[in-house]
Amino acid sequence: MVEAFAVASGKGGTGKTTSTLALGMALAEEHDVTVVDADTGMANLLFHAGLDDAAVTLHDLLVEGTATAVSEATYDRFGLSVVPCGTSLAGFEAAEPGRLRDVVAELASDTDVLLLDSPAALGSKSAVLPVVLADRVVIVVEPTIPALSDGLKVQEYARSYGTETAGVLFNKVRDDAADVAEQAERRFGGPVLANVPDSDAVRAARRAGEPLLAHAPESEPAASYRRAAARLDVRDGDEGTVADRFRSAVVPDTP
Amino acid sequence: MTGTAESPELRIPRGDLLRSRVVSDVGTTLARALDRELTGYATLVPQETLLLEGDARGVVTFADGVPVLAYNTVSDSGGPDALAELAVPGPYRVELYAVDAGALEPAHEEDALRVDPGAAATELADDQALADRTRDAAPEERLDAGGDDDDAVAAFLEDDDRIEAIREQARSEAAERASEWGLDDALVEGNGDGPSGDPPQ
Repeated sequence: MVEAFAVASGKGGTGKTTSTLALGMALAEEHDVTVVDADTGMANLLFHAGLDDAAVTLHDLLVEGTATAVSEATYDRFGLSVVPCGTSLAGFEAAEPGRLRDVVAELASDTDVLLLDSPAALGSKSAVLPVVLADRVVIVVEPTIPALSDGLKVQEYARSYGTETAGVLFNKVRDDAADVAEQAERRFGGPVLANVPDSDAVRAARRAGEPLLAHAPESEPAASYRRAAARLDVRDGDEGTVADRFRSAVVPDTP
Repeated sequence: MTGTAESPELRIPRGDLLRSRVVSDVGTTLARALDRELTGYATLVPQETLLLEGDARGVVTFADGVPVLAYNTVSDSGGPDALAELAVPGPYRVELYAVDAGALEPAHEEDALRVDPGAAATELADDQALADRTRDAAPEERLDAGGDDDDAVAAFLEDDDRIEAIREQARSEAAERASEWGLDDALVEGNGDGPSGDPPQ
């Protein structure tokens, strides 16, 4: 079985990467989970996962002719398979976003859950690709009007490509956002997976280069992410079908 | 532009124009008012009127740099509702006015138009750090006065027309860009309000 989720937000700074790794670790208690940094233009998953010095990254897989195997860019960390992206501009420029499809297809054949940490904005082909390829999208928003507006926009893009909404994750919540969460569920037509409180634990984990659930597993936000993961209700997609879908997805030739 | 809000609900003296310009980020205006501890007001006219069905014109008043009231002179909404209506992607045409201390006090007694000190920074400028800085500068009684940022968010989520306008705009943008990016074949036919269709083949 495999299901691919794009973790997206429509804007930067909502804590998408923190959320991707936290959901990944929570899901890894029951599933085989692979996390991919699909934000090829502004990679930062590697910093969150202690992979700053990773020799081979997704960038290498996205360059034609390097013959790098997917396994070389896949690292076992914190109970997850992690495919980080490099941070060099040269790597980004040489990368062909279309090749992400093949990489994802290969990863899909050997995991239960694929989490694609997606680019913040939707302004390019490479940015929209994770949302196109995924089965469902997890929308990470802060409970503010600008973030919800962008979240609605991401959902509409996803829907345009036949990608369902798995749910909305309220992040960096300062006050009790219960009323707003109820309204948001109605608007997004998907559950609010959790209200993750704004917390120093998240900032400390980031500074330590560790995922939140490794750094502060007993913290309140960690508990929220576990609840969110439990509500995702991972579906049993057939590996072959999902991999074929990725391989056959229409993908542009140029970045 | 008269610099004075026309509505009977909000009467404020014209004051002295400090600056008038188009800004992409209202945060710069709010930060300026905060840093100079301005008592006065800003008029905000979103240049993106698509989501507001016509002209919108907002007034945000300040006491010692901290936002007190918000008002939309087109819809006559006030407080969190006005903030929600004004919270659109920039740019905005902004005019900033200084008013003599004391001259705004009668207007500032209108509780119905009040907003949380940090709400304008959060909802209009999407700037949490500025919101925190504004709350730090706010007098204690303003922080305890009840009401919070969620009121504007709730007003936004209540607004059917606004939400539909955002969706509509995103749908057409997605379709337009799909053509541009050669992703037409991945689009789902007849994407509407119902459940998502089949995955791209």
